Amino acid sequence: MVEVLRALRLYVLLQRASARGAMQYRLNTVIGILCGAVWQGTGFAFVWVVMTTFPSLAGWGLAEIAFLYGLRLTAHALAMIPMISVNDIQWVVREGEFDRFLLRPLNPLVQLMGNRMGIAQFGDLLVGVTLLAVAAQHAHVRWDVWLVAFCLAAIAGGALIEAAFFLALCSLALRMIDTFQLRVFVDDVFSKFGSYPMKIFGGVVEWVLTFALPVAFVAYVPASVVLGKLDSPWAPAAPVLGAGLIVLAYRIWRRQLDHYQSVGH
Amino acid sequence: MIRIGFRLALAYRSNILITCVTLVAQVFLLRMIWTSVYGARPAAGLPLEALLAYLTLANLQAFATHTIVVSTAHHRIRVGTVFFDLARPVGYLRQLASFQVGNTLGGLCLLAPVVPVVLLVGSITAPADGPGYLLTLVLGYVIAVELALLISLAGFWMTETSAVALFHRLVSQFFAGTMVPLTYFPGFLGVLAEALPFKYLGYVPAAVYVGQISDVSGAVAIAVAWVVGLAGLLVLTWSRARRRVVIQGG
Repeated sequence: MVEVLRALRLYVLLQRASARGAMQYRLNTVIGILCGAVWQGTGFAFVWVVMTTFPSLAGWGLAEIAFLYGLRLTAHALAMIPMISVNDIQWVVREGEFDRFLLRPLNPLVQLMGNRMGIAQFGDLLVGVTLLAVAAQHAHVRWDVWLVAFCLAAIAGGALIEAAFFLALCSLALRMIDTFQLRVFVDDVFSKFGSYPMKIFGGVVEWVLTFALPVAFVAYVPASVVLGKLDSPWAPAAPVLGAGLIVLAYRIWRRQLDHYQSVGH
Repeated sequence: MIRIGFRLALAYRSNILITCVTLVAQVFLLRMIWTSVYGARPAAGLPLEALLAYLTLANLQAFATHTIVVSTAHHRIRVGTVFFDLARPVGYLRQLASFQVGNTLGGLCLLAPVVPVVLLVGSITAPADGPGYLLTLVLGYVIAVELALLISLAGFWMTETSAVALFHRLVSQFFAGTMVPLTYFPGFLGVLAEALPFKYLGYVPAAVYVGQISDVSGAVAIAVAWVVGLAGLLVLTWSRARRRVVIQGG
């Protein structure tokens, strides 16, 4: 426990340093955040344009889709803001910089995460939270403390699911397996298919996106629970999945770390 | 330069492969969304078959006519190697344009085997106006390259163009109508999309193909006007830019 707290404190220090670094290029930081926001904004603009002409997508109205979209995006941003610098792992390994991480008395994953801060991801967060806030008022939901708590748990759970897949794929770089393109693809699947009601995909694809790659559990299942569209007694437990997956992903990371061989120079 | 661009496209095969898979996923997603919304409310205007063919084509086009010249030029300005480009006896703009054309051709070679898959996942109908489609597509491509060259030249003033380039890509894809035909853009957004040149990169050729635009002469005339206008702007910008050249390092 003491060990974890210490790692957490050092992580905060590292991130504060990288935030200060980012603020040295203030304009670039602002543009980075704006780009993130515009990127996600045009994504949602598509939904908005379609739904001004066609008011229902598989029985979901615009406010309900916006809620689903916002939930997914917020979870995604919260997963990627701390994790994005792990994305550089193959360079860190290839340049031999990772050896230095192993010598320092701090968990190498924490060091890797503290390397750099996700900037564009703050733009994602901005759009995600805005969508959630606006949609929560317009979708007919009777809010109470429990439902808000469930939403927060769902966001955390969704973030953990995305982080788990990201971490597991990144860790293969320790054995010189380049998964960069694969990560781009997985991220794409999460963002494309996770933001719409699974029902529209039907059959095999719906099954794959629910049980093989649990895209549905990031936002679709929790949003259905909040909006009263799903009756399964198991559905409210969806946020727990993220916790399970992140533990599994961390185990994979540790395993790969045991097999790490330096590039040697 | 054409050959260099061509080779570059083939050199990053795995990169292109993943982009192809992404393209298939994108077309599948659009198909499912549009089938779903059309099911809820029967077609107003375009029948579903034509709409799906439109979306499939528009996405294939967006993929095939994607330009990389801005990032290449940006990189060479940043590290200073643009000096060698300027020292060559061939005009800078011509070099960039040839590079882009070669790169597009290379991309097309890699795209060719994926086309049947995309058509299967999406949908396709017989062309309503084949020659008109090809003509508008080529014009659209010329406009796309001209716009990319303009942004590349902006690099001589701004040095850092990556943010502008990303912004341009997002805006142009949205207003090209690759995900929604322009006819469904509501109110002000529709007016804006009609006025911008981006529709010639996606909407116009695809709409000609499925027969939504039956008379191509008007669209062709305006597209040609854009091509000429942008070419003039390019020449003007270039004559100013070459006087401003600052080589980094040296």
